[in-house]
Amino acid sequence: MAGQRVCRQQLVLTQLDATPFMVANRPLDTTIEVITPENIAFDYQLAGPFRRLPAYLIDFVARWALIFLILLPLYLSGFFLNFFSLGPFLIAATFLVYFVISWFYGTLMETYFNGRTIGKWVTGTRVIEVNGRPVTGRGALLRNLLRIADLAPMYAISNLSEGAPPLYMIPTGLVGLSSMMLTRRMQRLGDLAAGTMVVVDEKRWRIPIDEVDDQRVPALATYLPADLRISRSMARALAAYVERRTEMTPARRREIAKHLIDPVLDQIGFRPEIDPDLMMYTLYYHAFLKTEIRTGENPHDVDLTPLRGFSPLRQFTAADAGKGDVRDDDLGHSRDSHTSDSHASNQAEVV
Amino acid sequence: MRIAQRMKDRQPQWEELERLCDELEMAGKARRNADRNVSAAEQIQRFAFLYRSACADLALADAHQMPPATVTYLHRLVARSHNQLYRTHRIELSGWIQILFVEAPKRIFSDPCVRVSAIVFFGLFCLSMYLAFQEQTFPGYAEMIAGQEALQQADDSFDQPLNASFDHYVTMSGFYIQHNTGIGLRCFAWGILMIPCLYVLASNAIQLGAVFGYMARSDSAAGDHFFEFVTAHGPFELTAIALSAGAGLRLGMGLFYTGGLTRMDSIRMNASRAVPIMAASAMLFVLAAFTEGFLSPSPAPYIVKAYWAIFSSGLISFYFVILGFPKLETPSAPREDMSEIWDAT
Repeated sequence: MAGQRVCRQQLVLTQLDATPFMVANRPLDTTIEVITPENIAFDYQLAGPFRRLPAYLIDFVARWALIFLILLPLYLSGFFLNFFSLGPFLIAATFLVYFVISWFYGTLMETYFNGRTIGKWVTGTRVIEVNGRPVTGRGALLRNLLRIADLAPMYAISNLSEGAPPLYMIPTGLVGLSSMMLTRRMQRLGDLAAGTMVVVDEKRWRIPIDEVDDQRVPALATYLPADLRISRSMARALAAYVERRTEMTPARRREIAKHLIDPVLDQIGFRPEIDPDLMMYTLYYHAFLKTEIRTGENPHDVDLTPLRGFSPLRQFTAADAGKGDVRDDDLGHSRDSHTSDSHASNQAEVV
Repeated sequence: MRIAQRMKDRQPQWEELERLCDELEMAGKARRNADRNVSAAEQIQRFAFLYRSACADLALADAHQMPPATVTYLHRLVARSHNQLYRTHRIELSGWIQILFVEAPKRIFSDPCVRVSAIVFFGLFCLSMYLAFQEQTFPGYAEMIAGQEALQQADDSFDQPLNASFDHYVTMSGFYIQHNTGIGLRCFAWGILMIPCLYVLASNAIQLGAVFGYMARSDSAAGDHFFEFVTAHGPFELTAIALSAGAGLRLGMGLFYTGGLTRMDSIRMNASRAVPIMAASAMLFVLAAFTEGFLSPSPAPYIVKAYWAIFSSGLISFYFVILGFPKLETPSAPREDMSEIWDAT
């Protein structure tokens, strides 16, 4: 852990040395912002080589399957009717079908299926123009014709073993790969020429968590200062954390949450030994889920039993409990005094 | 109202938009929705409304403190609907006619890359033909370039007078379309890297030239039949090869010589210029393939084939020169090019 941090610092330092006054403020993610005619900016996630290679291989198989599927009924009907007069036409048709499918499969698919081929459909990618508009026929033609140059250089298997026939040439795709690595939109040469890019077109998503599964959270939330405001960046961090916390072990959750929650605990006057993960969850609940307390509603409706008498407040000591108590409920008292007295001055905004 | 509540309120609309997107993606157009009794036009209206509101949600996502996953979802949803709203422009026939008969000749006439590739191709072709023809001065040249077996094979196949049947024509024209147009397209694609394109062009020129020169020797037995065979489709096919290489070189020039533009803009602009040339070349390849399949191997008298060759040369000249001659009323070619960039960006 410490070693990693040192490494990262060194990395940052070397980067700063290279460009002493400029720090790239572009996100490192592979997303590209597109501004629509409606003046809405939305992000596309770019598809890298590891998504595009399977798409290419699937298309390769699909191309041959398509040729076969077109030719099979032709040949069958040819055999049933009269092979001797239709034979030459069948052979000519074979050449033509092979020619059209092998050269124009991608073009036709991308034009008629809105930037998708079968392989792209399976891998959930799509071709669009760099300005976000769908790909035009001319663009689709160019990028598919130029695939040959992108697949260069060819590597002959006969280099590997003497026995292999010289027929098998494997495209290495180094030209396209290096072009993808050097361009910000991960475009191969065909994409550059056509002004297109390949983006991820996934549909999977999750509704944000709208119910807390931990009974302690609403109870703990009542102890938060009433004037606690969650800043925008904090809210974003909270949401990102809560979305992903179920994928982590409890120990890892605590480790990650601790960095963020320690200053917060200090600010709102909570005891530092509170579980940071629970605290993050509570802040999330406060920011996103809790309905605002309307006037006249009793804030004591929340069931405090999950806390089992535990008070998170640092100020709550035995001495505090003894003086000036109006109610018999210790927790309720402490809560009231906490919000009214000790935090009236502490207009905590958690940043 | 807290954010969770707000999103629960919006969710049905997002889901409806997603459903519409699904339908549009599958069918490509809005359909009459039978169970809800909604017409296609109403559905499109509804789609536009939902799209606008999703856009508004996305714009306000930050202000409404939406969680990142929801924002990502909205990005995807808006992108998806955007893709349906502005769908792919299909290749329309009138557009291709415009490209083939208006844009392409002008580009070919004014493009230095086409001239370079034509000079390289026909220059090397003639040179190689001369070297192969002069057997005494350059002994063994044709055999070295084209290979003894290939020459022997050519000798054998043109030994007899041309007399192919109809079956043969159909099959062979299909083969020529596939094979020769394939070579042209490959030449074009390699053009973006320039060197492979020039290599393919030059090697084709030299090999063809060597065979031609070998056949033209006075002692060649098959020479007469060979020239009878190649006369008819020669003009189309040789021009098409030179053209496709020229279009390829145009692409490559865009990559290596930007002329003051950014490299990306330069590639895109040059590629857009190269497409009409390539389309013209493909058209010539198809014409050549039909000639090569039907007329060239037929037993028709040589005079017919020669007339066809002259006619096709005239046609090509008309296409390049008359259609391609720069018109006086459009002297601002550079400005037109710039507008392409503005459209593209």
